[in-house]
Amino acid sequence: MEAAIEIEKLTVRYTARGGDVEALHELSLSVAGRQIVGFLGPNGAGKTTTIHALLGFIQPSAGSARIFGEDIRKSIARRRIGYLPELPDFYKFLTGRELLRTAGRLFGLPRAMLNERIPALLEQVGLTDAADRRIGTYSRGMMQRIGVAQALVNDPDLVILDEPTGGLDPLGRMAIRGLIGGLRDAGKTVFFSSHELSEVELVCDRVAILANGRLAAEGPVDELVKPGESLEKYFLSVVEKKPE
Amino acid sequence: MRRVFTIAHTVWLEMVRRKDMYVLLVLLLTLLFVLMSLNVFGLAGMVRHVLDTGLLLTWLFGWVLAVNVSTRQLPREESQRTIYPLLAKPVSRAELLVGKWLGACTITGAALVVFYLAILLLTLLRGGRGAFNWVTAGQAFFLHFVFVAIVAAVGTMLSTRMNYDASASISYVLTLGAFLIVPRVPHLVTLETGFTRGGLLVLYYLLPHLELFDLRRRLVHDWGPANWSAILFSVAYGLLLVAACLLLAWLGYRKKRFSRSDAI
Repeated sequence: MEAAIEIEKLTVRYTARGGDVEALHELSLSVAGRQIVGFLGPNGAGKTTTIHALLGFIQPSAGSARIFGEDIRKSIARRRIGYLPELPDFYKFLTGRELLRTAGRLFGLPRAMLNERIPALLEQVGLTDAADRRIGTYSRGMMQRIGVAQALVNDPDLVILDEPTGGLDPLGRMAIRGLIGGLRDAGKTVFFSSHELSEVELVCDRVAILANGRLAAEGPVDELVKPGESLEKYFLSVVEKKPE
Repeated sequence: MRRVFTIAHTVWLEMVRRKDMYVLLVLLLTLLFVLMSLNVFGLAGMVRHVLDTGLLLTWLFGWVLAVNVSTRQLPREESQRTIYPLLAKPVSRAELLVGKWLGACTITGAALVVFYLAILLLTLLRGGRGAFNWVTAGQAFFLHFVFVAIVAAVGTMLSTRMNYDASASISYVLTLGAFLIVPRVPHLVTLETGFTRGGLLVLYYLLPHLELFDLRRRLVHDWGPANWSAILFSVAYGLLLVAACLLLAWLGYRKKRFSRSDAI
């Protein structure tokens, strides 16, 4: 099966006020298609940096990465991706419906397809009644839901979610869990970063754990976590280990 | 091109829903009505004065709009974090830049259409059919639009590396300086010698000649249409300036980092 994400020795360095920072050190990771992969790590471990490098927001200092075989440096590599950023923010002057139409046009989707898909997506995320309201009037939860809808507008094969449950109430978290389950049923690949280990344990096939910009562990949840133990305990044992 | 037009379209939607353009139009009309009610120059003088002042205000407002719209786009995408979902789509940095520039210059161009129509209508109402030459008016508008495209390109270029305040301030200084000082350089050159003279000549050839796009006096004093080859030369020169600015913008933007980790 075609790998959704292939990362080879990806290194990201940048200069900050205090000196040079190595946010990622020779990270290698492969995510096969049709899997739900949780991307874990403490704050500053490099999760968001990895996602930002995959999406072309930052240029790697060394190494390479491919998405469905396309080099991430080419914008075409993003045509099969849906992305929900951490704390999503969208053009406040657009309505929810206009945002989805704009997102669809940026993916080059034809008008007829958008006319069908947008009402269905609005229905799916429960925003049909607020579709023609300006996004500036949306609540935090509604913003997250319109974010989910714009991430799915191109019917992506790979969905990247950066801390999708951050700041959401239990109902919102449950909705995101339902969404990920729905994506699994539809045969999509989901790659998401999270601090909510219990959520990850519930929905993920595999996990990759980052610590200090390095891959500390990777594999199926049921292989990594011993029977009777929790993912949280395993996670703590991995990230508290001193890097070699 | 569809992605470029989509990005430009969002600039349009934003500007149509903001109040900037409407405030400027109301201000322009108010000033023109005040001018028309003060008939201190006699009818012929007043018509010319209304046209002159109206065009001056249109230049001023068009310049302010072009700088504000173009320099606000990219820095605000970053500060409001809307750049992340945008660049996560198959949109290249070049498409983003061209889309933002296109949106800024066409929305300002649309505002210019409204401003010109208002001025010309008022002039016609006061002075009758012979108040101005339609061909000259068309040429004046067309070159004014090219001027706006250049200013928007300068603003877009500066905003790739600076925040809104800095890029807007430098755009104002640079374009105003070019517009007011460059045409006076040949006179200054005759007064200077040696190194200063050389420096002035370098400045003259390096800075954009924005005065080429100003046909106000020709229109106000009814000198008749400009030579079409001169118009075409000016347009070609303007397009060259736009292309140079957008190329520099792309060089500065193509590998720019967008990441929260920059703040660490």
